[in-house]
Amino acid sequence: MKRSGFIEELHECQEKEEKNYLSKKNIMEAAQHHQVPPARAYGVATFYTMFSVQPRGKHIIRICRNLSCHLAGAEEIVKKLRETLGIDFGQTTEDGEFTLEESSCLGMCSLSPAMMIDDVPYGNLTPAKIPEILEQIRRRENRNE
Amino acid sequence: MSEERQLRIVLRNAGLIDPDSIDEYIAHDGYSALERVISEMSPDDVIEEIKKSELRGRGGAGFPTGKKWEFTAKADSDQKYIICNADEGEPGTFKDRGIMEGDPHSVLEGMMIAGYATGTNKGYIYIRGEYALSIKRLQKAIDDAREYGFLGEHILGSGFAFDVEIRRGAGSYICGEETALMESIEGKRGEPRKKPPYPPTCGLWGKPTVINNVETLANIAPIVINGADWFKGIGVEGSRGTKVFNLMGDINWKGVVEIPFGTPLSDIVMNMGKGIRGGRKLKAVVLGGVSGSLITSEELDTPVDFNSLARIEAGPGSGSIVVLDETRCIVDIARDIAYFFRHESCGKCTPCRVGTEEMYRIIDRISKGEGEERDINTLESLGKSMMLTSFCGLGQTAPNVILQSLRKFRDEWLTHIREKKCPVNV
Amino acid sequence: MVNIKIDGKEYQVPRGTTILKACEAASIDIPTLCYLEGISEEGSCGVCVVEVKGARTLQRSCITKVREGMEIFTNTPAVREARKVNLELILAHHPLDCMTCDKDGDCSLQDLAYRFGIKKSIFLDEEEAFEEQKETSWDTNPFIQFDPQKCILCRRCVDACENQAIVEAIGIAHRGHKSEVSTPFNLPLEETDCQFCGECVQACPTGALIEKPRMGKGKHFQLESTDTVCAYCGVGCNIKLYKDKSNMLVMARGIENPLVNNGKTCVKGRFGYEYVNSEDRLTTPLIREEGKLREASWEEAVLYTAKRLKEIKEKYGSDAIGVLGSSRCTNEDNYVVQKFARAVLGTNNVDNCARLCHSSTVTGLGKALGAGAATNSLDDIKDADVMFVIGSNMTETHPVISQIVKKHQKYDGAKIIVCDPRRTDIAKSADLFLQHSPGTDVALLNGIMNVIIHKDLIDRKFIDEHTEGFEEFKKVVEKYDLDTVSRLTGVDKTLIERAAEIYGKAKNAMIFYTMGITQHTTGTDNVLSVANLALITGNLGREGTGINPLRGQANVQGACDLGALPNVFPGYQKVVDPDVRAKFEKAWGVNLPEKVGIPVSEFGEKALKNEIKAIYIMGENPLMTEPDLRRVREGFEKLEFLAVQDIFLSETAELADVVFPASAAYEKDGTFTNTERRVQLLRPARERPKNAKYDWKIVCEVSKAMGYQMHYRNSAEIMDEIAELTPSYAGIHHNRLEKQGLQWPCPADDHPGTKFLHKDGHFKRPSGRGLISPVEYKPAKELPDAEYPFFLTTGRILYHYHSGNESRRVKVLDEFVPKNYAEINPEDANELGIKDGDMVRVSTRRGSIEVKSRISERPKKGVIFISFHFKEAAVNILTNPVLDPIAKIPEYKVCACKIQKIKKEEKV
Ligand SMILES: Cc1cc2nc3c(=O)[nH]c(=O)nc-3n(C[C@H](O)[C@H](O)[C@H](O)COP(=O)(O)O)c2cc1C
Ligand code: SF4
Ligand code: FES
Repeated sequence: MKRSGFIEELHECQEKEEKNYLSKKNIMEAAQHHQVPPARAYGVATFYTMFSVQPRGKHIIRICRNLSCHLAGAEEIVKKLRETLGIDFGQTTEDGEFTLEESSCLGMCSLSPAMMIDDVPYGNLTPAKIPEILEQIRRRENRNE
Repeated sequence: MSEERQLRIVLRNAGLIDPDSIDEYIAHDGYSALERVISEMSPDDVIEEIKKSELRGRGGAGFPTGKKWEFTAKADSDQKYIICNADEGEPGTFKDRGIMEGDPHSVLEGMMIAGYATGTNKGYIYIRGEYALSIKRLQKAIDDAREYGFLGEHILGSGFAFDVEIRRGAGSYICGEETALMESIEGKRGEPRKKPPYPPTCGLWGKPTVINNVETLANIAPIVINGADWFKGIGVEGSRGTKVFNLMGDINWKGVVEIPFGTPLSDIVMNMGKGIRGGRKLKAVVLGGVSGSLITSEELDTPVDFNSLARIEAGPGSGSIVVLDETRCIVDIARDIAYFFRHESCGKCTPCRVGTEEMYRIIDRISKGEGEERDINTLESLGKSMMLTSFCGLGQTAPNVILQSLRKFRDEWLTHIREKKCPVNV
Repeated sequence: MVNIKIDGKEYQVPRGTTILKACEAASIDIPTLCYLEGISEEGSCGVCVVEVKGARTLQRSCITKVREGMEIFTNTPAVREARKVNLELILAHHPLDCMTCDKDGDCSLQDLAYRFGIKKSIFLDEEEAFEEQKETSWDTNPFIQFDPQKCILCRRCVDACENQAIVEAIGIAHRGHKSEVSTPFNLPLEETDCQFCGECVQACPTGALIEKPRMGKGKHFQLESTDTVCAYCGVGCNIKLYKDKSNMLVMARGIENPLVNNGKTCVKGRFGYEYVNSEDRLTTPLIREEGKLREASWEEAVLYTAKRLKEIKEKYGSDAIGVLGSSRCTNEDNYVVQKFARAVLGTNNVDNCARLCHSSTVTGLGKALGAGAATNSLDDIKDADVMFVIGSNMTETHPVISQIVKKHQKYDGAKIIVCDPRRTDIAKSADLFLQHSPGTDVALLNGIMNVIIHKDLIDRKFIDEHTEGFEEFKKVVEKYDLDTVSRLTGVDKTLIERAAEIYGKAKNAMIFYTMGITQHTTGTDNVLSVANLALITGNLGREGTGINPLRGQANVQGACDLGALPNVFPGYQKVVDPDVRAKFEKAWGVNLPEKVGIPVSEFGEKALKNEIKAIYIMGENPLMTEPDLRRVREGFEKLEFLAVQDIFLSETAELADVVFPASAAYEKDGTFTNTERRVQLLRPARERPKNAKYDWKIVCEVSKAMGYQMHYRNSAEIMDEIAELTPSYAGIHHNRLEKQGLQWPCPADDHPGTKFLHKDGHFKRPSGRGLISPVEYKPAKELPDAEYPFFLTTGRILYHYHSGNESRRVKVLDEFVPKNYAEINPEDANELGIKDGDMVRVSTRRGSIEVKSRISERPKKGVIFISFHFKEAAVNILTNPVLDPIAKIPEYKVCACKIQKIKKEEKV
């Protein structure tokens, strides 16, 4: 019963899913594929913070609140994000664009405070930069459409 | 930055070569160590050399690398594994990311040599999922190495075969713990296993497994090329070679430094870090990550090496140095640290699962001015118990900084409780 | 051995011992909470820590093994404080509502809190702990309740589900302080693989998981417990039953007898006791008068019965009377009833419902091996490399055995091969699954053996030294090449080949079968064929091998052993053997009939022909269980006299002239013999209804009234008489059965019992050799045709039992599965336009019933499955009453049927 790659498969499922999450179907199929009992598969999917079993927005904002970012004023950034997006941690904006999540240290401490949106890191944040960054992403998307 | 005090072994190529170019790596002596071991050395010779170099693991625990390899080399099994631990999750640490993004081949080469020395043909690199660029760079490096015949069957025309695959983490600090990491590769929840048995004899899928940190592996090729004696000439007794540190917090210069073991902490903070921001006074240093230790200004002259630091109940840990100036509130720092551990406990064992939660709750209460004096005793007894009875290193080290702060900054804690306010107004 | 020091004293313990075990051996008490030996050894709670010299941290004694020279301290201040802090942490979120908790007095957490003097955790968050009970969305079922607030995340339940039940319906979801015990996606348990065995409940140290039916019925210390044996299937699980102050059974627990169930039970064992409490229990004798049953005194009923039986015996002769023993009654009951038939009524017309389930086992294995019982033991499973399961839906019929089998696969890598027309649960777990058409077992087995012979996987030495008939057999098997067999059975050739290879190459292979093999007109052939497979590969006479028919009812083995069969006395001593007869005549002081009697499967037919005039039934319900029910009923209606002793007014009792109120197995003292020949002791777990009597006692009274005295003061005395007359039970007495029972043959008082039969290839046949028989495939008697295009096959489901008289009186079981249903393959359903849940009419040449449809991947295309537990839709109205010529077992497993969707208009 080789389990290599089960988590990798969950990653791939989630990346393919428009709403950035693992649906029941995704998990069950991956579980069957890897011969993992459903209860265990669900246990795995809920263990890791990068996975979500709830639908999320198109973009995941992961903000670090750990020591170095904390010292550099992460709380201010968090406040600004909440304000600008009108949502709290674990929530998704009404337009389905952004989900706000807290993350453990992103390894960007020399650029703290820092956050990641999807795969893209953003460092040396200030509250003022936040609306601009979000707007940029929205704009880029509109252009692509 | 005071370049002259630094010595770049691990970071020998970082910033100098194009990390996406295997040719540039080769041009800078890349893969010559691999060639050397394959053509000139027996696996035993390699292990002897690494043992002689006295290289110790850079992942935190400082276990002698050569010994680890020897266990696995001697283990009798149809299959063995090499794992590169690139899960770097300790808050305030990004040295491994720097190595992977700056010189990915150096990590691969270390793995290959480890594979050769231990009789292993399969390696995994477990990288935290958040490190998108590291993943990309390493994947490119693997693909190129395969193309150049450094990975695969008959490496460099020899009978040695070795291949490497990347496994992405998915957001979990505990997966940096070696057995939790293996569980994760096996597709499970990242919960630590009971030890013994230890990975070198019973690791991934129950097979003998060497697991090494990124920085540890990046040291291997230089040791092979320059010899164990050269390496032993650097650093101090018990701590040979260099150590990469990440400098941050309230200092004037933040970034990466690589220094020989034995360099005083004050030198790193005050000279390389160019002193405390805004000319303020230093309050303390969180050394080795939030699971590390809290160093006061009185202790700042301690040389950074395993033995000297052990004397003040500290260690180089993950290689993170977070400097706190006098305006920082110790309770606020403790609260942030407690918050982290509460978020990252895997939940398997009671002392850590409930302990981290209660620890956070009590500190949060104190920070809001709702604490009572007996909370201090409760924190101390809870912390002690967590250190003594948690199942793995996470729970065992989670109280480190907090307990040290209770000892070293007790008055500040008491002020929060008695006067229901923060002396530095946070 | 390893030298260690505990608290300064030196000890020697075996290598590999845990510190906990070492301390236990040294009588040093160490508190534990999450540890459950062999089931949950994760070391999560941290309550059992000790100090080990030189170690940086305290060590968990439950999972840490001793090392040479280890110095252990179990009671230092650090140890005491750490244990206490960990307990306080556990209690931080646990509500202190012991006063209203059902687990009060039976809670490990409470015990530890008491021991450490923790009134209230220093960490207790009162707001949270006393908040309204948290919701769990997955415990909507009638069996198990989960209260997440009481859960201490010790993981014992999850491990029990994983390691005992081998199901993994629950797991740990989320992480850290948010961890919780959960089903996948929080689905209700009934939508997971959960089998409701309740291992999780039994494993829970607190009141977090609890049996719903026991709630509010008393705390542990208010209940009185009795160790006895489960009265449902033939596994014979050892269970502890709890009764409350008003004599009601309210709870059941598995007992850790490692040789049998080792603490496990299935849903019926754990939740199925309730029928004995039922209001429907018979509490007084009844006599039919002017067509109606009226209450009567014991004296009147007994005298009346005696009088009627005497009259009929005198008028029509002894053989006009039939007697039915019962596989749900004890060995002692059955011994007495067959003695009554033979010694008092003077007939060998005595049988029991084993006729309907395993008579072909008795005839087939008797012929091939010289003994018609399972050759091996449950404890042997651990020694098998391959487990070959044919015609056995073991997960539903013998759930605990399937747990043992699956565990052996999961943890020791043993292989499971399943052959079944239905994709049963065990088929899903199988390494190899062969889905053959109903009734083609001989063809399939011959095909497998053909490959085994061709690939030279036979055991030549065993065949030469210990068997006879191989050459003749080989000639027959030769005809069953892969193409032929694949065509006959519908099984892919490569699967047949692989099954042959896996079974043939195994060092030890164990065969299990149930009624899929026996209930055919070719039942005896099927069994012989199974025996051939074991014989030609030498898989007999060792641990982990053999042929293991799984017996259906709790005492089906014992009822046969004790001679409730028309051809044998107790211990399979033949009635036609004059020496045997002489022995019994001497012991019983009467002349005994020498003619073999008729089997129960012919009672109905003989009654119709006026050849049987009276029937005496102890605890059986033939009017639900015989095939072609309507015809049997006609026969029974023609009887001049019918007497029934039972605990309920069963379908059969309703027709009786006299009904005696009997006591239930859980009220009895006596023995059952389980499927592995283990004779086990029953103990009364509650008082029987005041006016009810033991079955053997009722028979004795009728016997006495007929002029034949049986002086037994208790069931132990009956067993002593059995021992005297039955060589295989000669060493079996109640006082030897206290702990683990004894497996027959047990020929002497100091004999330890027999774990497996045919040791060293010695068979109990005259030649001492096993018989390999040439067996040709013969199709079932009624096959699908244009008018009846489907196979109908019948059987059991997990949640019910037999004719439903017990299980359907268990509220939770009946609530959970209240109605019968027909399993239909999706392809068939699609063609017929039937949707899941539609009402359908299933008809055969004998009648029709209406049931709900359940679209399921389990039956092969063309096969309909219906269970026989429901009187409202009694499938035996449909079944074919044709019999195996030797075993006289009906062909329940195959007949032809048609199926129609019932239109809405029709329903009204
Ligand atoms: C909670 C916890 C987290 C850890 N995280 C990491 C990590 O992110 N990276 C790492 O290399 N080692 C980490 N370790 C240490 C590893 O368990 C292990 O000691 C290391 O990979 C061994 O490599 P080395 O001998 O090269 O140091 C962690 C240990 C613990 C207890
Ligand atoms: S100490 Fe924490 S992280 Fe480690 S096993 Fe226990 S709960 Fe998990
Ligand atoms: S009993 Fe040992 S850790 Fe729980």
